[in-house]
Amino acid sequence: MRTFKYLTSLLGFLVLNIIQVHAQDTIPIPLKIKVGIDVLGPATYYSDKNVLNMEAYISFDLDESKAVIVSAGSSNYKFSQYNYSYMSSGKFIRFGMDFNLLKPDKSRGKYWFGVGLRYGLSSFNSEVPFFDKTGYWGTIVSSIPSRKTLAQFVEISPGVRAEIFKNFSMGWSIGMRLLVSSGSDKDVRPIYLPGFGSAAKVITAGINYFLVWNIPFKTKNVIMKKPAPEENEDNNTENGNKENTGTTDGSIIRQ
Amino acid sequence: MRKIVPQSLIPVLSGLIIILFSCAQGSCFDETESYLKASLYNTSFSKILAPDSLTLYGMNRDSIIYNKVADLTIALIPLNDTAQSSSFVIKINGITDTIEFLYSSYPHLISKECGYTYYHHLDTLPIFTKHIITDISIENSTITNLKIENIQISY
Repeated sequence: MRTFKYLTSLLGFLVLNIIQVHAQDTIPIPLKIKVGIDVLGPATYYSDKNVLNMEAYISFDLDESKAVIVSAGSSNYKFSQYNYSYMSSGKFIRFGMDFNLLKPDKSRGKYWFGVGLRYGLSSFNSEVPFFDKTGYWGTIVSSIPSRKTLAQFVEISPGVRAEIFKNFSMGWSIGMRLLVSSGSDKDVRPIYLPGFGSAAKVITAGINYFLVWNIPFKTKNVIMKKPAPEENEDNNTENGNKENTGTTDGSIIRQ
Repeated sequence: MRKIVPQSLIPVLSGLIIILFSCAQGSCFDETESYLKASLYNTSFSKILAPDSLTLYGMNRDSIIYNKVADLTIALIPLNDTAQSSSFVIKINGITDTIEFLYSSYPHLISKECGYTYYHHLDTLPIFTKHIITDISIENSTITNLKIENIQISY
């Protein structure tokens, strides 16, 4: 009977210890499908009627720190000044990866501070309805008909997201883009590339502000490795304190 | 948790501040005219040398491009964007010649701020009279708004 009591209490102690260690070392991280829409593009349109950008994305968490992402959108751009007018409209798509730089115990599946890497394609039509030029031979008025162009670029986009309500996040990203190919001849270059920005520069920056709907599809228990305890010979040897013993994985087992 | 959420919102909301940056509209500082750049080569001194006097104007045009100008080593000659040839009357040191340029033109975007101009490509050697001009050679057949010599007029 005493042996049974002893075994029962030992088993209970071990179970409690396992539960305690488990609770300390693993964090349940919900993996999500995220659907986000950019609100900055339509908002900007109210102040600048020349540019209307619409963009949305969908991403799929591969694990607690990585996600594949596809974003797509459309863009209408027009510009005019005293000697010409220009307009373009088209669609763009970006795809790549997002990396959360926060550790799981900080992010907890709710917070994202990281960087995205993307490859982008921009397909659009552009035309110059009129341009005029005044010189020695007088003033001429001409136009350049619509032409279809496919441009390519790569993007690095650091940003942040935070869950405001359950399964609803918001945050911003700064897209730093490098033009790989404008897809046009050097004389009649586009002025604006959908999804990229001004075509006058090889490197551009843009900003998006996203509202994101999160759809959890799986929970992953992420094992957190604690930093190895500093060896304190004073405590462990000189004082003969053997209450705590460091293990190889850094967790602590109480004896 | 209460502490985490407000702290996490700080970078999210700070994005709104970044968004407030605005872009100033630029101005055009580039040359918008694609002149044919002609250097004036004096065969007596075997070097590019400004004539004592140079007068230039378009054939059948009233306005004069250069009127008895001295100290001019490179003449900027405007071609007609809407035609495939332009003819000019050139008077060097009081002696008159005519030059006809044959070319093709195509639009070129200078910049968003400046807009469009026409570039030209010289298709053949210019046709010219030889009262004082002895030769015309093409140095660069593409005529742009850049400061690149296109032809050399020997006199």
